[in-house]
Amino acid sequence: MAKHEHTAPPSDPALRVKALESLLLEKGLIDAKALDEIIDTYENKVGPRNGAAVVARAWVDADYKKRLLDDATAAIAELGFSGVQGEDMVVVENLPGLHNIVVCTLCSCYPWPTLGLPPVWYKAAPYRSRAVSDPRGVLDEFGVSLADDVEIRVWDSNAELRYLVLPERPDGTDGMSEDELAAMVTRDSMIGTGVIQAPK
Amino acid sequence: MAVLTADMVAGLASTGASCRLDETVAPKFSVGDHVVVRNINPTGHTRLPRYVRGKRGIVDRDHGVFIFPDTNAHSEGEKPQHVYSVRFTPRELWGGDASERDSVYIDMWDDYIDPAS
Amino acid sequence: MNGVHDLGGMHGMGPIDPEANEPVFHNEWERRVFAVTIATFGGGNYHVDQFRHAIERMGAANYLSTSYYEHWLHMVETLMIETGAISRDELNAEQTKLAKEAS
Repeated sequence: MAKHEHTAPPSDPALRVKALESLLLEKGLIDAKALDEIIDTYENKVGPRNGAAVVARAWVDADYKKRLLDDATAAIAELGFSGVQGEDMVVVENLPGLHNIVVCTLCSCYPWPTLGLPPVWYKAAPYRSRAVSDPRGVLDEFGVSLADDVEIRVWDSNAELRYLVLPERPDGTDGMSEDELAAMVTRDSMIGTGVIQAPK
Repeated sequence: MAVLTADMVAGLASTGASCRLDETVAPKFSVGDHVVVRNINPTGHTRLPRYVRGKRGIVDRDHGVFIFPDTNAHSEGEKPQHVYSVRFTPRELWGGDASERDSVYIDMWDDYIDPAS
Repeated sequence: MNGVHDLGGMHGMGPIDPEANEPVFHNEWERRVFAVTIATFGGGNYHVDQFRHAIERMGAANYLSTSYYEHWLHMVETLMIETGAISRDELNAEQTKLAKEAS
């Protein structure tokens, strides 16, 4: 770019966001401490460990699981998880012979309070384009191969409902504590692009 | 205009901003109804994906009343209406020999669907 | 609008390519974009439907060739200008000033 070019705005996003942030701070439209608090919240406090706690509770507590499937928003709030991009939750249960997978074909809708911010692949065109038309092919790319007789349900979160998959509890976990179970639950198993392996 | 301060962040994060409305609006459809998606092509905002337009599905559940994004995005009102989870088969959406047993569930506002004859 | 953001069923978008042990943010500028977005959204400057439509309006080639947080940056710039909170001239001037300081 010409060094003395004044008309073309720079395209470097680092410079652009710096300019935007400093202008909004100068005008008193945003608060510097709030920015730090927002980053800390979503980088350190919210993430898939929250969703894993929900799944583990559902595995050990049949009454909780029933409440979770009936009114997911309220049941998830029982464990202290609620808020932005999880205001209206739906939990869908994997069963023997039934696999659920979640996508947002129009943008990147994702249940933040239980899973945190979405990974890049979830927000990118390859996954969003094919999850609805070729879920088996997509699952193959994640190393998940389902038997031909397994029914697949794809959930396109195009509205304001946010979907969380309740994965199947693996065999061989009977004696495990709720915390040990939660530690086995992966982010991808709650999106539906992964399954949880039985302990060796 | 309010400015979000640091002490408001935890509250915002844990409360959010639901687009669900606490209004009584009669649903146009019931669970089990056969519906056909409208073939609309608005130049403004819509949450109706192209791949489902003109396709036939079955209402699976009623999520309740929500703001209608097509009008709200353009400051033309919230137009409260029911949103339903509607089930479509891959065969209906993609034709050919796509599965008739698998499903794609999409959330449909009242204004996106008509009764299937 | 029949935009390129409406991806369901499209072909030719390439492999999915998940990143192992992906961090929440990949760069400091992504953190700043996220924070400025939540702060302006939480301050009531715009709502979620305006947010999404601003990204849909960014143009097909631009949408496909930029990353997620670049979409958000475009959205905040667009909506804060459209609501009159800031002007394009002010933003350009600030960018030019920072570019000079950095050079």
